[in-house]
Amino acid sequence: MIEFTAFNSSLLLLFGVFIGLLGSALGVGGGIFMVPFLVLALKLPIHQAVAASLVAIVATSSAVAAVNVERGLANIRLGITLEVTTALGSIAGALIASRVPGATVQLLFALMLFPVSVLMFLKGRGSLKKAAAQVLPAAKGASSFDSGFFDPALAAHTHYQVRNMAPASVVSFFAGSLSGLLGIGGGVVQVPVMNLLCGVPMKAAAATSNFIIGVSAAASAYVYFRKGLIPFELTAVIVVGVLLGSFLGIYALYKARSEKLQVIFSALTLLIAVKMLVEAL
Amino acid sequence: MRTDGFNDKDFAKLIQRTLLAGVFLSLFLLFLGFGLSLAGSPHGGGLLKAGVLALLLTPAARVGMLIYGYWRGGEKYFALASFAVLGLLAVSLLV
Repeated sequence: MIEFTAFNSSLLLLFGVFIGLLGSALGVGGGIFMVPFLVLALKLPIHQAVAASLVAIVATSSAVAAVNVERGLANIRLGITLEVTTALGSIAGALIASRVPGATVQLLFALMLFPVSVLMFLKGRGSLKKAAAQVLPAAKGASSFDSGFFDPALAAHTHYQVRNMAPASVVSFFAGSLSGLLGIGGGVVQVPVMNLLCGVPMKAAAATSNFIIGVSAAASAYVYFRKGLIPFELTAVIVVGVLLGSFLGIYALYKARSEKLQVIFSALTLLIAVKMLVEAL
Repeated sequence: MRTDGFNDKDFAKLIQRTLLAGVFLSLFLLFLGFGLSLAGSPHGGGLLKAGVLALLLTPAARVGMLIYGYWRGGEKYFALASFAVLGLLAVSLLV
């Protein structure tokens, strides 16, 4: 267990702010950086790191979703429908995690980071957007999931149709399982799925994913709470940092959201993956 | 678009306020907990725990509001989906 010196608390707070900023800028929960930081730098047992990360994801999601819902970016109908299977997966993932050794969870985490790094890189290069345009056939008819939002970058209202809900629900179950098992939000899976499979524009997909991960992370966090795995003091410090960072990011970094950041963080994710893998083996 | 005077904008505002209420309640409890901990009070730890739990219950409160909003708007399918999610959250507290 770490000692709560002024230095450690400040470090945790600052890291929380960083994660919150990241959540706002990249539309991710931050679990892919939070868990390695707690395990590698603070030597926290991975189950506790996963639990703390899940609470931090609830914090980022709640703060950012509050604004995205008001801006009309998050597709609530799509979100609540996918939340059913995502929450189911999250509970399953958390139950599995609580029954497997920490070394196995760490190994799985490291292995998961490699494809995440590639996905972030592709997203940063705009390849996913191009792929979505090529892969998706025209929608057959209107559905109650269809929506639209005002895009300030284009200064226009973007309308879109949602398709392939059944396969998206199945994939959401796996995204939820990853969330519960490894303490990540699952946005790294949800965003490309909504974009490539459902035809949701990237901005709306990121906002809707952020909306969904609050519930999936909460469902997993309840399981960890029941098992007594949440380190409350440490989590409280991180949560304050994450909330401060999220609010700062929402208002200060919204326009600075850059695809170049995705490429930089994909390289960082790759480095973390190697380090986690070496530690786990 | 809803026709009962409770439109999509009102609904989005309700969700936004629920999320912000949970977040600010959590922050209030956490700051109070840190303050009491620094002052050496034994209640500090309990408030930190309460702050984290308030945050964890925020998504559940948001789902509760979705049930209310969709039910009121006559969108029974989405009200039912929200109810299923709330049920799953309750299950996760029991397993």
